[in-house]
Amino acid sequence: MSLAAEAFVSQIAAAEPWPEKATLYQPLKEDQILLSDSASSLAVQTFLRMCGLPVQVSCCANAEYMSPSGKVPFIHVGNQVVSELGPIVQYIKAKGHSLSDGLDDVQRAEMKAYMELVNNMLLTAELYIQWCDDYTATEISRPRYSSPYSWPLNHILAYQKQWEVRRKMNAIGWSGKSLEQVYEDVSQCCQALSQRLGTQPYFFNKQPTELDALVFGHLFTILTTQLTNDELAEKVKSYTNLLSFCHHSKTSK
Amino acid sequence: MHTNMAEPMELLCWGGDWDLPSVHTDSLIVLAYAKFSGATLAVKSIDWTWRTITASVPQLHYEGSTVTEPTQILNFLRKQRFNADYELTAKQGADTMAYIALLEEKLRPALLHTFWVDAQNYANLTRPWFTSHSPFPLNFFVPGRQASLALSRILLTKAESPLLNITEVEGKIYSEAKECLNLLSHRLGNFHFFFGDTPTSLDAFVFGHIAPLIKAPLPSGQLQKHLNQLDNLCQFCNTILKNYFTDASAEKRMDCSPTATHDPVDANLQKLTQLVNKESNLIEKVLARSADSLLNLMSLEIAVTCLKVCGHCFFTMY
Repeated sequence: MSLAAEAFVSQIAAAEPWPEKATLYQPLKEDQILLSDSASSLAVQTFLRMCGLPVQVSCCANAEYMSPSGKVPFIHVGNQVVSELGPIVQYIKAKGHSLSDGLDDVQRAEMKAYMELVNNMLLTAELYIQWCDDYTATEISRPRYSSPYSWPLNHILAYQKQWEVRRKMNAIGWSGKSLEQVYEDVSQCCQALSQRLGTQPYFFNKQPTELDALVFGHLFTILTTQLTNDELAEKVKSYTNLLSFCHHSKTSK
Repeated sequence: MHTNMAEPMELLCWGGDWDLPSVHTDSLIVLAYAKFSGATLAVKSIDWTWRTITASVPQLHYEGSTVTEPTQILNFLRKQRFNADYELTAKQGADTMAYIALLEEKLRPALLHTFWVDAQNYANLTRPWFTSHSPFPLNFFVPGRQASLALSRILLTKAESPLLNITEVEGKIYSEAKECLNLLSHRLGNFHFFFGDTPTSLDAFVFGHIAPLIKAPLPSGQLQKHLNQLDNLCQFCNTILKNYFTDASAEKRMDCSPTATHDPVDANLQKLTQLVNKESNLIEKVLARSADSLLNLMSLEIAVTCLKVCGHCFFTMY
């Protein structure tokens, strides 16, 4: 969205209270959704639950095409549609709910930096493992992604998506990486998160913020999703404080 | 403790200009980290060589192995016991990773756009510079290739996929970059460096990203204007240049190589005065000898010095 459109949307957002029939759209849970989308969706759902805003989850096969930015999940609130965690956080802040108001400038800078770390490393690694690793792509990603469609559309869409992701990996310089290097990056990212978290219940003070929602979404999905091998989950499991963070966040919501 | 090196480590990178040791962000990161950690590198500039199109810069050569990409090179230097992050706590190390990710995601797209996609900057600054620093016939290909790589990176990572239009993305990437600069400024505060009094790898990364933006003479630079308002970041950049890179830039000025200096007028004046002094010395010598042959000699010398003066004016202006 351009800046003017964003400002306009924020104004409209501020005018209306949170409706009861807000909906979150994601791909089909059982058959279609992949690890990265599931992680993003869980992050948004956790964030909304932390803010105390009710939302219904609706699973549609064409959620990705309905989304204004082409990425899932997206929420439909009143007559606005907002996708991805970043814009959703801003939209909800315009409505008057915010989890990070208590942070000072330096802490807010740190929070944004860590959120970018998760996006840059964890999400990119998830996409790499799903689409650039041939074995996983053939066994899991392509069949799942194209399951709602019939032949030949399923082949076309699956390969198109794989090509798009590989192009992106190429542009940011990840196409030269091997799978072991990607797992190593995930491990370093988890180490950084683990060191930042320490023994606290949440990343900042005693209150959860959008960073906690994002980290929980990704880590919980990694731990509970069955891939071709368990190496990704093992990397996360080796950090015990992250495990207890996931457990604590899951049970307290 | 440094390892005993039979040969020094060699770094290939783009050359310097605008008071910087290199105009290329990734090369600057490696150069700054090497200075901070005390590693001596034999810096080889790829300007005017075929490596402008074949090499992925920066590149570190040591004992037969080659390392590319700033993060890999920094890891390699750390393994060779050149560690500028030795005194950081675990949490500070984690913060380093997070801030580097912030720079890559939020600031890098806008930097790429400012230098390679913005029409005015590209036509008036970036393309002439890279064209003049590449050998024939590569000077036709190198800038264009870099520009298309930059554009595709921005579009693939930031644009919303159905549209893929650069103008829609511009507003978003610049506002994110300005926010990122503000966040860095808040984090730096009144300190000299990001973690206390000694520079670390995060300082190298931030320096590499913001130094070209501060120093380059950009015709249209909204991001540069924004950065100039953040005094502590400008001060940070100048402190590093003064403390770690003054020898390099002072040497360059004394070499009189055809790179534009910060005060072109003063440098020109200096060179011109030197040449005029040389010329007047010659004329004095000439007057002490006989007429005919010396007149020829004198006119030849004067013609040569005039040519030199014109040549220097031409080079320093372009």
